[in-house]
Amino acid sequence: MDNQQADKNKTPRVISGHFGGKRVESRVLEEQIQDAVSQGQRSFEIQAYGQHGIGGRLWCAGAEPVQVKISGHPGQRVGSMGFPNTWVEVLGPASDDVGWLNAGAEVVIHGNAGNGCANAMAQGRVSIAGNIGARGMTMTKHNPRFAPPELWVLGSAGDYFGEFMAGGIAVVCGHEAQNPENVLGYRPFVGMVGGKVFFRGPQTGYSQADAKLIPIGDADWDWLTENLKAFLQRIDRSQLLKGFCDKAQWQLLAARSAQEKVSSPMRSMTSFQSDVWEKELGRGGLIGDLTRLDRTPIPLITNSFLRRFVPVWENRKYAAPCEATCPTGIPVQERWRLIREGRVDEAVDLALGYTPFPASVCGYLCPNLCMQSCTRQISALAPVDVTQLGQASLQAKLPDLPPESDKKIAIIGGGPAGISVAWQLRQAGHSVTIYEVAKRLGGKITRQIPESRIPKEVITEEMRRIEKVIPRINLQQPLGADDITRLKEDFDYVVIATGAQKPRRLPIPGNQRAVTASDFLESAKADKAKVGKHVVIIGAGNVGCDAAAEAHRLGARKITLLDIQEPLSFGKERQAAEAVGAEFKWPVATQKITTTGVKLTSGEELPADTVIVSIGDVPDLDFIPASVRTEKDFVKVNENYQTSDMQIFAIGDVVRPGLLTEAIGSGRIVARTICDMIEGKRPAFVRRDMIDRQRVTLEYFDPRITEFADLDHCGSQCSSCGACRDCGICVAVCPQAAISRKALENNSYEYVVDENLCIGCGFCAGACPCGVWDLVENTPIE
Amino acid sequence: MEPERPIAPSTLSVKDLPWQILWDLEKCTLCGKCTAVCPVNAIELGVFRKRILEPPAEITLETATAFKSYYGIRQKTDPAYRCVGCAMCTMVCPNDAIVPCRTDESDKLKFHVDQGGQPRRRGGRRNMPGGVLDRLKFIRISMLTDPALDAGRHEFELRTLLGRVLPPEENLKFLRINGWIPPVREIYPLIIGAMSFGALSPTMWEGLQMGVAYLNEELKMPVRICTGEGGCPPRLLRSRFLKYVILQIASGYFGWDEIIHAIPEMKEDPCAIEIKYGQGAKPGDGGLLMWYKVNKLIAAIRGVPTGVNLPSPPTHQTKYSIEESVAKMIQSMYMAWGFRVPVYPKISGTSTALAVLNNLTRNPYAAGLAIDGEDGGTGAAYNVSMNHMGHPIASNIRDSYLTLVQVGMQNQLPLLAGGGIGKNGNLAANAAALIMLGASGVQIGKYVMQAAAGCLGSESDRCNICNIGLCPKGITSQDPRLYRRLDAEQVAQRLVDLYLSFDTELKKIVAPLGRSTSLPIGMSDALGIDDPNIAERLKIKYVV
Repeated sequence: MDNQQADKNKTPRVISGHFGGKRVESRVLEEQIQDAVSQGQRSFEIQAYGQHGIGGRLWCAGAEPVQVKISGHPGQRVGSMGFPNTWVEVLGPASDDVGWLNAGAEVVIHGNAGNGCANAMAQGRVSIAGNIGARGMTMTKHNPRFAPPELWVLGSAGDYFGEFMAGGIAVVCGHEAQNPENVLGYRPFVGMVGGKVFFRGPQTGYSQADAKLIPIGDADWDWLTENLKAFLQRIDRSQLLKGFCDKAQWQLLAARSAQEKVSSPMRSMTSFQSDVWEKELGRGGLIGDLTRLDRTPIPLITNSFLRRFVPVWENRKYAAPCEATCPTGIPVQERWRLIREGRVDEAVDLALGYTPFPASVCGYLCPNLCMQSCTRQISALAPVDVTQLGQASLQAKLPDLPPESDKKIAIIGGGPAGISVAWQLRQAGHSVTIYEVAKRLGGKITRQIPESRIPKEVITEEMRRIEKVIPRINLQQPLGADDITRLKEDFDYVVIATGAQKPRRLPIPGNQRAVTASDFLESAKADKAKVGKHVVIIGAGNVGCDAAAEAHRLGARKITLLDIQEPLSFGKERQAAEAVGAEFKWPVATQKITTTGVKLTSGEELPADTVIVSIGDVPDLDFIPASVRTEKDFVKVNENYQTSDMQIFAIGDVVRPGLLTEAIGSGRIVARTICDMIEGKRPAFVRRDMIDRQRVTLEYFDPRITEFADLDHCGSQCSSCGACRDCGICVAVCPQAAISRKALENNSYEYVVDENLCIGCGFCAGACPCGVWDLVENTPIE
Repeated sequence: MEPERPIAPSTLSVKDLPWQILWDLEKCTLCGKCTAVCPVNAIELGVFRKRILEPPAEITLETATAFKSYYGIRQKTDPAYRCVGCAMCTMVCPNDAIVPCRTDESDKLKFHVDQGGQPRRRGGRRNMPGGVLDRLKFIRISMLTDPALDAGRHEFELRTLLGRVLPPEENLKFLRINGWIPPVREIYPLIIGAMSFGALSPTMWEGLQMGVAYLNEELKMPVRICTGEGGCPPRLLRSRFLKYVILQIASGYFGWDEIIHAIPEMKEDPCAIEIKYGQGAKPGDGGLLMWYKVNKLIAAIRGVPTGVNLPSPPTHQTKYSIEESVAKMIQSMYMAWGFRVPVYPKISGTSTALAVLNNLTRNPYAAGLAIDGEDGGTGAAYNVSMNHMGHPIASNIRDSYLTLVQVGMQNQLPLLAGGGIGKNGNLAANAAALIMLGASGVQIGKYVMQAAAGCLGSESDRCNICNIGLCPKGITSQDPRLYRRLDAEQVAQRLVDLYLSFDTELKKIVAPLGRSTSLPIGMSDALGIDDPNIAERLKIKYVV
């Protein structure tokens, strides 16, 4: 291109927006301008007639500058999508969206501009020699590749100025502002995230959340004054410069950073609570007048009085099942403890405080309710074998007896119950006298129970020990009602322990042909009984079973036990009968006893050489004085075995048929009651409640142990229900190390909890093998 | 001998329970925190026995057998100590060794929770996740039609009116004849519904009240909170904060003597009086505050002795008809505050709601009607009431609104909707849907407990033990050892968070409708659903 042509291209080409009496369409004017530029034209004078978008998109000139001067009335979007090479100048005011999406053009408006001025501008500069409408400088950007865009406004901004402004610099000079009270318009800078704004004049509020006022630094001020001069030159108002150069009139506003926005400008709740809430309501807030309880926050895991639960070391609060179910009340677990501690003698001797027959009964004759109830059984573990301990008790040594007091007690009947009460009372220091109708002391134990069940020497040894304790034993002393009345005068208390001696008889024909079980057993024990080959026993209870075993010993070959219901026999007696091949028939009813056998109501006839009737015994109550009430066939007593005559007690089978241990136990209760009464106390024989077996932990024991080698082995396997084994597991298990063992006087001890460490987790209760630890709710806070 | 494990009809195994504790031996450090924190003692330290068999790889040699014990966490199977799934154990576990898991089938426990002939009672709400509110869509999105507003930029005045809005000419007549006009309050449309002092712990109640005061005084949001039926602390009654409070009167009349004593000393009128006739969680049944929650404090506020059961009867004992109930109660309550306080009844969702509404339209005092739908929550109710009784709120509110439209009174008698709003976390969407169906405002309770206090309860029957005073978060407990776990200040802060975010979400929903100064009450053309039957029933658009 030669110079001449170049000069020609720089000579403004005039294009009118009005042609042939008509307005040229925006599209056509755009085409004319673009064509001219592409042909090299670089300067224009556009006589606008409301056409839109004039001066934009002139990139086909490349880097060469293009000047567009606009007279008349341009439409919207002057200089939109402006290119960096373009210089647009409007000689009067402009409509909306001046410099929209400006990407670098210099746009100068010599008047006011409408709404949306510089909207989404990213580069370039827009200068307005007047005021602008709403939403100016909104959505502007600053691309780091280029210089930031600039908007210069001589007057004021309209409403919602700078919304979502993301970059660039705006300068609002406030000269002859549309609203002199507010040069920034209503609610400016909502959502502003970048850029800054210089303004001169008052404002009435902006989005505090998004923007903030900052001091104008020296660099800012230098930049502003230098560029103000250029701006005023662009809009031909240089004379205003002097008046604009007072720094005090200017303010600078910048976007808050994302980090600054996060920090809330709101009052803290802490401050609200203390300065507003409690100021109005008073200290302690809503309910400060109603309660003084501390309500400050606490953690989930707490200790001391804030624990929800508290462990309690309930050593010996509850009875072990063995002790609780033993009618005699022997603390079996206590004896095993002594064994574990190597105090075998004490373990053995201890029994004598409870029973005169520790060897005979515990060791041989008792069904051992203690073992039946042993906690180990709930987990199918073999119960600790108490018979070993019982049998060892034959060697038990008596403590020295206290001198006899002047309190005298007569005991009628020298069976297990009578011996028990006498034994206890004598050891308690009172004077006891036994009246026994038979030739020997011992009742059923010495007279009826087969030797197959217990060696003779055991009984002999225990009877010898008993006789040492009980000073006055009157044998072969049958008593009548008058004697009892006399005894009442001579003695302080009378205890009836005469047992059930009178066999029940079957009300059927031929019953005289049968022998009663007690007669049979007594004569069998004395080796005087004779039986045939076929024996029928009517009544298949434990006594019937004893009879069956004895019958077999004496030569019977075919033994049949009959019962009207399912036989109640159990335990060793039943096993012994089954072992000798006795046959149990039930339910059957007998019709009569013939010379050849027993005829049943079914018509069946069982051959029998000997018929034994074993349907129970009832007491002989002929001698009972009128002051003692009876009920059905037995003496009526209260829970302390006291009869309706306050001075007379009754125990054993005369009260109700039962086990030997029950007879012995009733003797203990009466002895204790009498002692209480002698001491003038309200009789209260209290037995501790039985421990909940679920508290005991059996997982510490080997389930494959089915029998016990010796006493030590037994002791080691006792779970010591309810009584501390002093194993220290709780100390080890406690996660807070809150439990410790505290030694007390007399070799005793206790486990204690440091409440300042304990969190109430209950691990101690969960781990305790003995069920001694319990977890209880803490005392309510009110 | 007792068998190892006695089998009774109600003997359950862990598998039969609704929640199973999964515990990891490897991770567990045996610190005791889980058993210490468990609200219902469902877990304990267990001692386990392990058998170790070591058969040698030589058949002629003897196999070694030995037992060892180890400790771990054992879950109880006694129905009285069943795991409730609250997962506090998980929360305190330092090693993430324990977590309750919901059973993979319908649990067997539900057949055994009636021990002693006492049917199950619980807190929470209907054990049924989901619901129609979540399915409603806002289908009217204005872009180039209505003036589209920008939720972030535009200013919104999201307020609703509580009170009888009579037409101007009637108001003038009213004023001429009576010397007063029915009071109307301009309030925020999200109201904290009735939760009593007693059902809630002191820390929870105070936190909510303080949060409401903050919203009003610091953020200028006129949020209101209803006391529920349990009285109101005397200090609050005599403070300026009372104006943010809706006092409730219900059939138990608890605490009303204290309120009456305070009236001459009140600095401010309460916002309104709500007369409770029914509750969505237990329609036809009354309050069930049990004795163990009635400590000194509760007793003082309710005006009763300590340690007594405080049941509220299902009905107001001396009100025998709708007319009488409404007339007597509304009039008396108006009189108490010199006709300056709006009074409105609240009923449980019911097929008879329209009968109540019709009555209210004829009563020029009635300030509105609150309806509490079947998904409403409660601190204590019979499970059967909660799970099977009540009316869904959507059609109840819609029918009521359309009835008002029919008689030309839709702008006069505001309807408040409650019950299950935000049940699945969609608070603003559910609230906006009910507003578009015709509610002037919504009441929330359970959502507040969940959002502001971390309530763990869920419709999968998690926790839900509000009724027994053992709330592991301290929200519904009167035991300081539990309620001190909750910091009133933090509750207040969370309430503020909840309202601010709700406000933004509600704006996001209403802005595209071009609404910025009035709520789109009854604007049902903005609602759609992908079920033609529901669409037809609610008279909204069927969209697929």
